[in-house]
Amino acid sequence: MKDDWFAFTWLVARRELMERARAKSFKVATVILLVAVAAGVAVPALISGQKPVVQVGLVGGSAGARAVALEAGKVTGTVVRARPEPSLAAAKEALRKGTLGLVVVAGKEVLLKQVTSSNGTSSLTALARAIAQLEGESELLASLPPAAAKAIERGAALPVRGLLPPPRSLTLKVTGFVAALVIYILLLTYGMRITVGTQEEKTSRVAEVLLSAIRPSQLLMGKVLGMGLLFLLQIVALLTTALVAAAASGSTLLRGSSPAVLGISAVWFLLGYAFYCTLFAAAGSMITRQADSYNATLPMQIPLILGYILADTLTFSSVSTFDKVLSFFPPTAPVIGPAIYAAGGVVLWQVALSCLLCVAGTVAVGRLASTIYARSLLRTGIRVKLRDALKNELAT
Amino acid sequence: MLELVDLRRHYGSTVALDGLSFSVKTGRVVGFLGPNGAGKTTAMRAVFDLVPLDSGHVHWKGSPIRPSDRRRFGYMPEERGLYPGMRVGEQVTYIGRLHGMGPSQAARAAEHWIGRLGLTDRMKDKIEALSLGNQQRAQLAAALVHDPELLVLDEPFSGLDPVGIDTMSDVLAERARAGAAVLFSSHQLDLVEHICEEVDIIDNGRLVASGPVDDLARGGHPTLEVKLTEDPAGDWARSLGDLGTVSSINKGMVSVVIGSRDKSQLVLDLARAVGTVEHFGFRRKHLSEVFREAVKAGTQ
Repeated sequence: MKDDWFAFTWLVARRELMERARAKSFKVATVILLVAVAAGVAVPALISGQKPVVQVGLVGGSAGARAVALEAGKVTGTVVRARPEPSLAAAKEALRKGTLGLVVVAGKEVLLKQVTSSNGTSSLTALARAIAQLEGESELLASLPPAAAKAIERGAALPVRGLLPPPRSLTLKVTGFVAALVIYILLLTYGMRITVGTQEEKTSRVAEVLLSAIRPSQLLMGKVLGMGLLFLLQIVALLTTALVAAAASGSTLLRGSSPAVLGISAVWFLLGYAFYCTLFAAAGSMITRQADSYNATLPMQIPLILGYILADTLTFSSVSTFDKVLSFFPPTAPVIGPAIYAAGGVVLWQVALSCLLCVAGTVAVGRLASTIYARSLLRTGIRVKLRDALKNELAT
Repeated sequence: MLELVDLRRHYGSTVALDGLSFSVKTGRVVGFLGPNGAGKTTAMRAVFDLVPLDSGHVHWKGSPIRPSDRRRFGYMPEERGLYPGMRVGEQVTYIGRLHGMGPSQAARAAEHWIGRLGLTDRMKDKIEALSLGNQQRAQLAAALVHDPELLVLDEPFSGLDPVGIDTMSDVLAERARAGAAVLFSSHQLDLVEHICEEVDIIDNGRLVASGPVDDLARGGHPTLEVKLTEDPAGDWARSLGDLGTVSSINKGMVSVVIGSRDKSQLVLDLARAVGTVEHFGFRRKHLSEVFREAVKAGTQ
């Protein structure tokens, strides 16, 4: 094999990926997560989101009436199944038998089996009223000269225009916050897994054998790369499951979410992982007991929690200067980034600048983490103090 | 040849290596001895760049060691360790790959060494399912899988049963015959004396004795051991005069330190003149004595 850095790093990454994917605990956890996500998306939609289905009979002018009926279905949230009827008598018979919910007699009337109340709010009544309104307007416009019909369609009111751009919708802000929440949870969860994985490698004393053949940087990067790829596969599987479950169940989970916010969130997750993964590994190299992992990772948890809290406040509050500053600060940017963009606090070029700063920060902390990792990994016994690791005063 | 030259390393006020220098020739098995805390592990780790040195250097075949050289070395650290949840065969193959072997080459070599060390039927078992002794064999297989040119083993015999010790001894001798340089540390001095051609003894981070085992065993002033059949108190030795100094008398066996080997025949003549000589010969020191004397002298 060539003496190139990446080839050996990839060997480490590949082992990490394969061994962890093969572990029973990983398989069980992933299956549970997939089932939970599918159920979380589909069950609410199946319980509450069943749209009523109405069979609509069309008598005369069926093409135009069909379009009107389908449009009315969209407006009222009803699934419309429209079919032409051979005659008005046949349609009325079907209406009486209940095989049709309502009948549209083109240009004339909308028939129901029975109108229960003039102010009825049932889905069938609402659909009948919508069809009657649209069909009536359609007939009226058809009877007018083309110029007049066009003027009416355009509307008579003057346009209204604001000097400032309109505020971001609540839906968009909520999308940004949810993205920040998901990134916060994923970075913390996967970060802790890296810490524990590194601590186990140190405790099993295999690190010394590995480091006799490859460099600490290769072991560190291979580890976080392999685990990162596995996490990414897990996320893709979860997202795919969520989307398939949403499509199959008619869930409105992603309705109103912005592709731009989702795209930026994906970028921030990847940058956040790159920024934090080596630090979590360095923390793992300093401890010998899993019980110490919480304290060892506290310096990483604090900026993540701060970013999450600020992202939460952005949903209902305006963007402050403090929020903006922290959106450029690499430790907090990956979490607050999607939320502040969704809230309109930053524009795309500022997002790009913040991403660049995060990349630069990743390089800097990667070097620091690599140093700590190399100096702490072979130190067994008591927990390594950060000051000692940096001063290189560790007895072996 | 492996050369460690003037290695120095301190941790705070503790001096781990204090100008340590020695070398290991190819084709030789060299024992690396020293009391606990003498700096053996630090020196062995320095070969693999696992500890940063304050000063000094380690050379292999006359040049500074590069990462590609290091991949041709085999190492068994004092603190044994392999991935507990990984299968034996896959683990040894993986270590082979980290030393630059191709996938099939590493798999074949892993199978060979695992078989050679008696673990063929445990190939697919996880490391954590093996006994400690078998884990140690797997660890040795990991150190040998790439047929290293230099083998550095920190306490390789610790925890092994007699059969395991024999296997390990055979493998070390075999590797040396194949042209590898073998350096290992041990506190089992009888074993070291049996296996090694040379030893290096360190204390407080410094070399205190070094050389072929036979030379060290004969080193210092020659000592004769003489026993006369009818003189259990060793009274005959009172007439030695300037020929030598009695260092001990034990059940009639008189140990006489003489100035030079030439005087041995004079001592024999004197003894024969007194009575029947039951035993006469130069005393060969055990390695444990050499070790104690070297460490004591180093401390003083």
